[in-house]
This record gives sequence, C-alpha cells and structure tokens, in this order.
Amino acid sequence: MTSLSLKRLAVIALPMAALAGMTTSVQAQEWTPSKSIEFVAPANPGGGWDTLVRTVSRVIQQEGLADKNFAAINVPGGGGAVAWAQIARDSGNPHKLFATSPPIILVPLAGASRYDHTDFTPVARLITDYSIVLVSADSEYETINDLFDALKENPRLSVGGGSAPGSMDHISIAGLASAAGLEASSVNYIPFSGGGDAMTNLMGGHIEAVITGAGESVGQLGEGSQIRALGVSAPERLGGGLADVPTYQEQGVDYTFDIWRGVMGTPDMPEEAVTYYQDLFAEMLETDGWQEARDQLGWIDAYQNSEEFGVFLDEQQEQFSGVLSDLGLLRQ
Amino acid sequence: MDALNNLMYGFGIALEPINIAYVFAGVFAGTIIGMLPGLGPISALALMIPITFAMEPSSGLILMAGVYYGAIFGGSTSSILLNAPGVAGTVATSFDGYPMAKKGLAGKALAIAAYSSFVGGTVSVIFLMLVAPLLSKVAVSFGPAEYFALMVLGLTAVVSLSDKSLVKGLIAAVVGVIISIVGIDLQTGTERFTFGSIQLLDGIDFLVVALGIFALAEVFYMLLRGGGGKEAPRNAIGSLKLTRSEVKEIAGPVSRSSVLGFFTGVLPGAGATIGSFLGYSMEKRLAKDGDTFGKGNIKGVAAPEAANNAACTGSFVPLLTLGVPGSGTTAVLLGALLVMGVTPGPMMLEQRPDVFWGVVASMYIGNIFLLVLNLPLIPLIAKILDLPKPLLLSLILIFCMIGVYGMSFSVFDLLLLLGFGLLGLGMRLFGFPAAPLILALILGNIMEESMRRALQISGGDWMTFIDKPISLSLLVIALLSLGLPLLKKRRKRAAAAAE
Repeated sequence: MTSLSLKRLAVIALPMAALAGMTTSVQAQEWTPSKSIEFVAPANPGGGWDTLVRTVSRVIQQEGLADKNFAAINVPGGGGAVAWAQIARDSGNPHKLFATSPPIILVPLAGASRYDHTDFTPVARLITDYSIVLVSADSEYETINDLFDALKENPRLSVGGGSAPGSMDHISIAGLASAAGLEASSVNYIPFSGGGDAMTNLMGGHIEAVITGAGESVGQLGEGSQIRALGVSAPERLGGGLADVPTYQEQGVDYTFDIWRGVMGTPDMPEEAVTYYQDLFAEMLETDGWQEARDQLGWIDAYQNSEEFGVFLDEQQEQFSGVLSDLGLLRQ
Repeated sequence: MDALNNLMYGFGIALEPINIAYVFAGVFAGTIIGMLPGLGPISALALMIPITFAMEPSSGLILMAGVYYGAIFGGSTSSILLNAPGVAGTVATSFDGYPMAKKGLAGKALAIAAYSSFVGGTVSVIFLMLVAPLLSKVAVSFGPAEYFALMVLGLTAVVSLSDKSLVKGLIAAVVGVIISIVGIDLQTGTERFTFGSIQLLDGIDFLVVALGIFALAEVFYMLLRGGGGKEAPRNAIGSLKLTRSEVKEIAGPVSRSSVLGFFTGVLPGAGATIGSFLGYSMEKRLAKDGDTFGKGNIKGVAAPEAANNAACTGSFVPLLTLGVPGSGTTAVLLGALLVMGVTPGPMMLEQRPDVFWGVVASMYIGNIFLLVLNLPLIPLIAKILDLPKPLLLSLILIFCMIGVYGMSFSVFDLLLLLGFGLLGLGMRLFGFPAAPLILALILGNIMEESMRRALQISGGDWMTFIDKPISLSLLVIALLSLGLPLLKKRRKRAAAAAE
C-alpha cells in the first residue's frame, strides 16, 4: 500500500522537481538526496503544519538551496497519528521528513498515538509562535490578572480554544492558570474546532476569553477590531502588530509557552542525512525569501540543530506530562 | 451610491485583461475539478498556493475564488448524470437530478442546475457587495446554542425526506448520526466507534459515504437487476429548453434558496452542503407537489443548486470581513492570502480595497463565464449517458474509486467506500431512504458538539437554548415545521369525517 502511494506521489512531484533550481554545488563526500524528498504535513491543507511544509518547500526551491525537490504531502488523520504510524514504518529512509510541533508530545501523552517523539529522528527546530489570551474589545478585563481574579470568583467563566482538551491551547491556559495561583483544572475550557471558530464566538460574546496562537490572531487585532489581547506567552514583547501586547511576565505571572515548529525524520535516519538537512534548514533561515515569508506569517525564528532539538523535546515532554496529570488527562 | 462606486472600482480591477484571464482559468479549472467526484476544491487550492504566491494578491484571490465557486457549479453535473456527487455541496442535487436524468431529462436537469447556479451566484454577489460589512455581525451572532437550534431545524427535514415510511427514515437518520460521531470526540478527546483503528480517528469523510451510498449503491443495484432489466433510454438527453411555465415554477424556489443559501454560507461552519439541504427541504415543504420531490421534480434541482452557489459566495463574508475561515476551503484561501501578504479581517476593506472589490466584481464576471461555458457543454457531457451500460457502470466505479483514493491515498477509505456501497444497496432493497442518512451525517456531529459546548458554557443549564432569542425562534420554527403537517392532516381527516 505504502509503496503504491509513494509512486503516485512521485508522479505528482515530478513536474515540481523539474522546476527546482539546481545551483548548489556539493562536495563529493557529503550525503545528498538522490531523489525527491517527501515532506509530510500530518494534517489537511490549511493548518499550521501544512503552512510550514509548503512555505519551507517553496523557499528551498526558490532560493535554489537543494538539488532535489521537496514535495509537500498531506497525510491527515488522528491529529497526526495516522502520518506518524506511516512514517514509523519507514525506518532509515533518508528521503522522508515531516513537520512537527507540540502535538507530537501531547497526542501520545493523551493516549491517542502509539508513537511519540522518541520514535523519530529530530532534524531541526525552525520557528516558534506564542499563545495569546484574547477578550472582546468591550470586555471589563484590562490585564491577565483581571481575568484570573474573575475566574477565582466565578469558575464557570468560559475560555475557548481551538483544539480538544489536553491539546496545545488547553495546556497553555492551564499552565498559565497554575502559574497565576489557580488550579490548572479550574479553567472552564471550551474546545472549538479551530482558533478561528473560537474567535468568532468571542466576537459574538458567547464566551469570555480565547486562548490561541499569537500569529493566528495578529490579523484580528489592531484598530477597529472587536477583540483585544490581554497577554502573550513570549519571554519578551513581540514586534509588529503585537508590539502593544504585554507579556505574562510583565504582568507578574512567571510563565512562558512556546508553540514551536520543527522538522523530524524517519526512525534511525542516517546521521549524514540528518547533518545535511539540519545545515540546509539553517542556511534557509538566512535567506531573504524565508525572512519575508516568516514575517508575513508572524513566525519567529527559533532554530535548534538536531541534537539541541532532541534535548528540548525531552524537556517539553516532562513539562507537558506535569500539566496533563494536574488536569487528570494523562493516559500513558 | 457608495457601493456602486466601489463596484466600479472593483470592475476596474477585475476587467484588466490579465484578471479576466484568471477568472476564466479559475472557473474553467473549477468546473472540471467539480465534475470529477472526490477531487474537491480544497486540494486543488492547496496545490495552487505556490503558483499564486508571486501574483498580485487581487489576481491570486480572483483565480482561487473562481476555482472554488466553479467547482460548486460543476459538481452538479456528476450528481445529475451519475448519481455521484462531484463535491459535497451538490449531494442534494442528485435527489431529483438523477431521477430526471433517468427519465431522459438529463439536458433539462443540467440546464436548470446551470441557470439556478447562475442566479444563486449572482444574487449572492449582490448581497455580498451591499451588506458584507454589516453581515459580520450576523456571522458572530451564532454561538453554540444558536448552532444547535439551527441543526435541530435542519434535522426536522428528515420527516420530509423520508418519503414512504417515517420509521425507516428515522432509522436511516440515526445511522447517519452514528457515522457522523465516529472518531475522536472533540469535547473529551475520547475515541468513539473507532474499534482501535487509527484510520478512523478523524472520522469518516463525508464524500466517502455519499459516493458509496449514492453512486456505488446505484451501480450495485443495476448489476443486481442484471442484463434482463430494461435498458436506459438511448439518446435521451432531452431538450435543454425550459418552457415558460417551468421558468415560472422554479423562479420562486431559486430566489428563496439563493437568499437562504447566502445567509447559511455567512455562518462559519455551515457552508454549501448544509445550505443546499436547507434549500431543498424548504422547497419540498412549500411545494404543493412536494410528494414528487425525489422523483425528478425540477424544483428539487433548482433549489439546492441556487442555495449551494449562494452559500459559497456567502462564505466569503466571514473570511474577508472577519478573517476567520468558515470551512476547510476558505481556510486554505486564508492561508494563501496570508502568504501573499494580505491579512483578511475588519481592516481589509480599508487597507486592501483592491482585493475585496476586485474579487467581488470578478464573481459577477465568473458567474457569466460559468453559464456561457457550461450551457454549450451540456449536450457533450450528457453524451456519457449514451455509453453502453457495462461501460457506464465501470466508469462510475472508476470515478468513485479514484475520487476516494485521491482524497487520502488510503486503501482503507476504498474499503469503507465499498462498505457504504453495500449499505446503500441494502437500504434500497429494503426501502430505506438514503437522504435522511446523509442529512443526519452532515448535521449530527455539529449538533452534538454545539449542544455540549452550549451546556458547558451555561454550566449545564438547559434554559440557555430558550433564553437566547435566535435559538428560541429557530427551535419554535422547528417545532412548527413538525407540528403543522400533523395539524393539517388532522383537520383534513376531521373534514372528511364531517362529510
């Protein structure tokens, strides 16, 4: 089944490969890809992983950074679990990468995937986004502490997010609540089918606050907007449209949360291939094409090479399992 | 008038030769994509992102929007001719379109679909132009409680879609609800009806079910009846022309469904599929000859076609004025706009009027292109019905399988398709209607999620559905639409008894 679908994908990828620039000169002893690289977004078109995969493939192609084409492939299902199960079977394949972010840790912890980050090869962390707390423009809350004071009074106040309980948005607000001195599980978290869905409900006054990605919300904020931000999970203030939004730390809550995104490879990917890709991505981050796309999408560079990324992933797992067990959602 | 000035400005952009070319390319590609079952606008648009990246944002969106509404326009063709819905939004079109084609009226059905789509598309663009900024308030006024009430209202259509036996209709609807909740439950993260299979974690794709229960079941059914069955009428495309009385007959349904469809589209998450079902069931109830719906009534083709195209345009309201995508397709459009450096949202009308008004104006042009493009094609495309039956059946089979495999590259989905084909066959043999199952499949999951979300917000207080005026009115309408036919029947019986 897999080999059949690969053939099919290769057929799709061929015309793109023809377009790819072939400018990079390569030293003989280094490993280089011998065919198109399958770059998997473990989700449907349109989401965060998909945007990352398509943006990275496009920049690499436009800047002529690789001899071979990066073919974007969507393998949706199970919040990533379907793609992970497929990739886990492809041990050692140096021509297959996938986009990743906190769900690679959270989904397995919640018991919904047999495979977790330790089953794959970390390649590089690329960017990060932060989470942001939004309220409607005419809300009585001015700071993040106003919101939490109100939550202490009335635990029924609803905070919407764009994903299921125990996933990124929920972890982020629960961690924030416990840093602010509340019980993590006391937040009445309402899961919506996406950040956009949650924001429309906020604008309509159906919920009190929303937790979502800062990048996703940047178009919604600013002059004439129906919503405003109480705080952002970054260690220091962000730029652009979010320059006015104070961090949690500025408001006396010692808490940061990264919505990082990076690239992983098949289990036991050969070391030479990992080195090739981590260097390729490092080079890509320096290009004008990348910086332009990155700014438009509201991402912040957060490069880590394979080794650093691996250590970081282990730390994240420890941190997330703590929050999940406070929430009673730890299944593993 | 302000809107007129803006529109003139928009036409200035849309009428640039390069943009006219993009509109044409978009709607042409969209029509083709729509006709092929399974190949939906989402994947087509995702593939186009790298192409549009280098384009002027207004041109890029003009092209991509053209693909989107072109696909909804073209999707009716395979619904009518093959009983295989080309896109999810045209499932309801097959209810009466396919029976018409079987009766030898394929040409007429396709023509009605084209005219209704054109009217639905154009009426909704006028709405989009005049009231889009105001409508952003309507779009956000629907919270979980209101969506729940809307879905309840939608589900009351099960009664009118159940033709002969209400009990069988209700059974089909329950099966539909069960299929709709397969997968991870969003509220708790629990798996339901997945039997430990990771392929089922994200639920079952709507098109897999629709293609199985309609197209594949039809193929099986024809095979069962075998060569001895009567041959489909040869060369029976029929006339494309509508008589004056037919035009009169569909004028009402088309205009009502255009308006209904547009407002359904404006609600994030509702979209073309729900819009077309609401339009269909509304007209079935309003029509004096409602009992001939499902057997080839022209109003049953006109209403969903006007509604789905209108809903498609309507879905641009939340996208462009709020910056929130209401559907998977508009989510891809949002992504494409961001990559092109345009941030849709409340400020877009002021910051990028060229994109907004350019796209609105291009939609007028695109709808005319679609009509001009589709009408002459009808006799050609309808020739597919002239194929010998074995060839036609294999063709439908291949279309369905390519469509389903192309969506997910998953053999598992092909097996599901086969399973639903057999389910559909069984339902036909035992007289269970398929439409209630499909309706419940679309609405079931949204209804459940909205209800639980509303209760979670209200702290478990059921009064939340009655306290909110929109939700209350929708529930009252739902109650009336269930109760009135009963009252009518009783009165008729009383009158009969009195005589």
